[in-house]
Amino acid sequence: MSAPTGSAPLPHRTVANIRSPPGAGHHQSGPSTPIRHIPSNFGSPSSLRADEEILIIEIGTRKLQVGFSGDPAPRGCVWFCPDQQRRVGDFRDWQTDYRYDWRSAAAGGLWGRDHELWQYDVRGVNLGLVGDKIERALGEAFTKYLLIDSRPRRMVWVLPSALPIPVLSAALDSVFSRFQSPTISLLSSPLALAVGAGVRSALVIDLGWSETVVTSVYEYREVDSKRSIRGGRMLVEHTHKLLAKNLPETQGGPDGKDKYVVSFEECSDITTRMVWCKPRPRSASGQPSSDALATVQEQDEGELEDRPVSRRTGSVTVPIRSWLSPTSLELPFDALAEPCEDAFFESQYSPTSFDDHELPLHLLVYRSLLQLPVDVRALCMSRIIFTGGCSNVLGLRGRIFDEVSHLIQERGWDPVRGKGVDQLRCNPKLRKRDARQAGDGPTGVMSPPGEGEEQDGVWHDAANMIPEIDFIDEQLQRATDRRPRVQGTLRPIESLGAWSGASLVTHLKALAIATIDREGWLQHGAAGASKPSDADYKTQRQSLGPGGLMRGSAAGSAWTLGVWGAT
Amino acid sequence: MAAITPYTYIQCPCSDSSTLGRSSDTNSSRADGADDDDDRTFDPRAPRSNYSLYPLEYLLYCEDCHQIRCPRCVAEEIVTYYCPNCLFEVPSSNLKSEGNRCTRSCFQCPICIGPLAVTSVETKPDPSLLAAPDNTAAPQSGPYALTCSYCNWSSTEVGIKFDKPNGIHAQLSKLRNGGTARLTAKERKERRRDPSYRSSAATEQGDGRSGSDEKLDLETQFANLKSFYQSQLADPNASDGGLAALSDLGFSSPTSLSRIMSIYTGGSLHDKKAKLRVGAIREALEVDEGLQLADLDESAAIAQLHSEGHDGTASTSRLSDQPPNFGEAHLHGRSRFVSELRPIPYLLRTKRSKRCPVCRHIISKPEAKVQTTRFRIRLVAGSYIPSIAIRPLSLSSGSGTSASGSAGIPGALLEPLKPAHYLLTFTNPIFESIKVTLGAPAKTPGRFASKVTVLCPEFEIDANTDVWDEALKDPSGAGELRDRERERERRRHKGEEGGNVSNNNNQLEVGKIWERGRNWVSIVVEVVPAWLRLEHGTEEQRLREDEDLLEIPMFVRVEWEAEAVGDEVGAVVGRDKEAREKRELAYWCVLGLGRIRH
Ligand SMILES: [Zn+2]
Ligand SMILES: [Zn+2]
Ligand SMILES: [Zn+2]
Ligand SMILES: [Zn+2]
Repeated sequence: MSAPTGSAPLPHRTVANIRSPPGAGHHQSGPSTPIRHIPSNFGSPSSLRADEEILIIEIGTRKLQVGFSGDPAPRGCVWFCPDQQRRVGDFRDWQTDYRYDWRSAAAGGLWGRDHELWQYDVRGVNLGLVGDKIERALGEAFTKYLLIDSRPRRMVWVLPSALPIPVLSAALDSVFSRFQSPTISLLSSPLALAVGAGVRSALVIDLGWSETVVTSVYEYREVDSKRSIRGGRMLVEHTHKLLAKNLPETQGGPDGKDKYVVSFEECSDITTRMVWCKPRPRSASGQPSSDALATVQEQDEGELEDRPVSRRTGSVTVPIRSWLSPTSLELPFDALAEPCEDAFFESQYSPTSFDDHELPLHLLVYRSLLQLPVDVRALCMSRIIFTGGCSNVLGLRGRIFDEVSHLIQERGWDPVRGKGVDQLRCNPKLRKRDARQAGDGPTGVMSPPGEGEEQDGVWHDAANMIPEIDFIDEQLQRATDRRPRVQGTLRPIESLGAWSGASLVTHLKALAIATIDREGWLQHGAAGASKPSDADYKTQRQSLGPGGLMRGSAAGSAWTLGVWGAT
Repeated sequence: MAAITPYTYIQCPCSDSSTLGRSSDTNSSRADGADDDDDRTFDPRAPRSNYSLYPLEYLLYCEDCHQIRCPRCVAEEIVTYYCPNCLFEVPSSNLKSEGNRCTRSCFQCPICIGPLAVTSVETKPDPSLLAAPDNTAAPQSGPYALTCSYCNWSSTEVGIKFDKPNGIHAQLSKLRNGGTARLTAKERKERRRDPSYRSSAATEQGDGRSGSDEKLDLETQFANLKSFYQSQLADPNASDGGLAALSDLGFSSPTSLSRIMSIYTGGSLHDKKAKLRVGAIREALEVDEGLQLADLDESAAIAQLHSEGHDGTASTSRLSDQPPNFGEAHLHGRSRFVSELRPIPYLLRTKRSKRCPVCRHIISKPEAKVQTTRFRIRLVAGSYIPSIAIRPLSLSSGSGTSASGSAGIPGALLEPLKPAHYLLTFTNPIFESIKVTLGAPAKTPGRFASKVTVLCPEFEIDANTDVWDEALKDPSGAGELRDRERERERRRHKGEEGGNVSNNNNQLEVGKIWERGRNWVSIVVEVVPAWLRLEHGTEEQRLREDEDLLEIPMFVRVEWEAEAVGDEVGAVVGRDKEAREKRELAYWCVLGLGRIRH
């Protein structure tokens, strides 16, 4: 169980010696002696590495979560925020008279951006700063929650799969050089979520901060992903709109043109606490909201009986402190569902008026399902996993689910229940049609080569890289698994979450995970990448999907980080 | 904005070239296009600078490497784990099994973070017992609750009471909000076999298996999934146990890096071997295996939100203080209401010793005892590098200024475009005399450029010889004052370059220091503060936070000679015949002078 006694100054970690003999380094449940660090060894490089304790780190746009492999949940969570970005020893946040000057930050285009680790549009990102932020947040998390020393530790990062390479590269640079991790493994969150739900295929609906991403996972592989900019940020923006609309008009800023009248911090807090989502209207003509709410209230009438009458008035009071002067707003409870409506559904427009990247969420989900090959769809639709910060918005998951099932009822794609599946499988005509849909479906999946990727530095169409035949790989059907699989019906399932899923994956060593070796990275990583002029520009604005870096390397041994690789 | 007292921040050299000013910086959209190739004047206002600047007190120093060490570039080891509330030491072996929080009876109030005390539900809390860990003198009769003496919160508000006044942590972990007990795995199984417990409203969409609608808490679902996967992987059909799926993929070259990237999304499971192994796992089909159907009906919570309003919900910051709650069933409805907030067990803390990452020498080591805040070893940078004190200098237009120049009003606002003078006093802490060279850009970086002139950028400071020593050497036995005076006299007469003292006649002279003492030198910096005028039509209509601060970036180079020590790692520049080593230390610092009126 002791570390290998290599003579190299820094142990070169090949993947081969990551794998320790069964049991070694992995605490099974039950009594076990903790591996003790032998002090006398300290100072010799091989013992500088910490015991086989793997850190699982889930990194999102607004927070990161840390913990140990094998634990059911992370031990700590650090949010990215402006006070974290101050100098050490700058204690103004602790002074009672200090208040963050959010107005000038907002004027500088930072309303909310100073609460983000990165932006997906890398053109606006200070990559070095991303590295600094990660380093500081990790340092805080390690010290405060994990209580670990600074010996190098292996890490597993759980990341959104569309993370642009330059951003990932900056993060790796920072962590490899500051924390000396011998290896960092990468796991995409949709895969981790599937594992955390106990399934091999799933439709992962990530109601995230920057965007909502619907990822189809089939047999532990991401086969498709679609995104819409309708996410948490947009929801908070709409909450701000709602508040601003109801506040007395003011002359803000030097020339009365301030875009924001309430701070991001406060809007975000109000959104988390108060914004909810109405159920799907019962009928097209009916008054959606009051109708549905009335039902809800009726159900609870018994419980509510003894509550004070004042509480049953239709409005709620929301205190607002960051406005010109502290005040409080009386809002109809229904109004607090508006931001959700506007941000995620925007029912007043017809579907054709939406760009692909701003599809309302139910359409996004429906189209994701629609263009999947029928077998894949049948499996995915019965394993719908909601995740992301906005899945905490009360009623939102149910609403999306109902809207999607309504769309399916209304438009269908062909009967997929029960026998229908088999029918479809045997009927070449239907199947062909389906393939066509998958190919040039309504969302224009097969955009001209290159276009999808280059649009905004985010890689968009994972599935397009994989030949369709590849989807249906009968070999993957496990011979011994004769039990019927639920398919063809819409069914939501709960996942433990991406972090916990990754904890399982790592603890059980159940899946292949991509692992980057520190030595290799430092040699060939950002520094080793060739200059952009040497390589094909087409390969540059991509993220990590299949075919991402691969194409770069296929062109020869040179690969590049694109414009970001310039020195 | 309140006025400030002048300050100094130092940039640890570890953040230099290698990380700062790297290519990734040039991509910054907010950087003005012009400074792409700027010769790397350090911009204290750049967002990244905040991560590398430290007040002198935060910096340590390695005597062997002769280098500054900041919190980012030291290696840490843990001396002690302890609870900040009961101050008990926690053996490191407990951490893995029991987690990062105190498992005695130390809890914080979920509302105000104050310490909670164990009190009998029947009697009033006794103030003398507050916060007493493992309350031995707890009230006699149960049931008990955790209560806050500051805001009067009580765990009974979330329906939690305890049978015994001790072992609260263990009791709490078995209780759900509302006081219902968490089921153990065994109880869960027994209950499922008993038909009377079965939910009558069995799900219609489910796979029809019994209990598929049962709600698992996070810990149980995790445990179920884990044992399910383990049983799958142990299946004899999966020859290698499936555990080694990643072993054969060797990643070290850029080419294979691309493979990594594709595996990251599961893309390269075409790999035959991996495919076979992964194929060994089937999916979870029932609750016992960790499958959990989602209940999307949140109408009850919406009704609660409606009736309780804003006051009934917990703020984001309160929620973020909550420890992870393994016990509740609803994963998505994580605590939201005040009525769901649980007591927070204190997070443990550590005492750490710090090593130089290069030579591994210990540069800071605290006393192991929890109660003391003393250090056994602590090499603070302040004992090795010169400190800089800043004060405003007002040169009255007339002739009658005192010898040292009268100090300006500290904290007063700087007038735009009106020259102002500051006295920088460098104090040498080491026993060798040092040569200091300063470099500062003529204009401060940023949207508003103030002009900066360092009147004397190069000077020497005498060694920090012990005053007492010197007095002993001197037969006349003069005290410090006379000593210093004599020293100053000697200097004045010597009239070396850069050693000239310019304040004899109270005139600012380029190349002359202002004043000199035993181990210190004062020089003058002249600034012409910028006019903080916002041009119309610019994107930003406001000053950013702190943009009215006049901060001067200054590059400091310190050179000295010291007795050579044997072969060692470090910044040894050269040796002379007398085995004296020339050493140097160079770093950026930031001088905060004050705010500019706007
Ligand atoms: Zn440093
Ligand atoms: Zn304690
Ligand atoms: Zn309290
Ligand atoms: Zn050293």
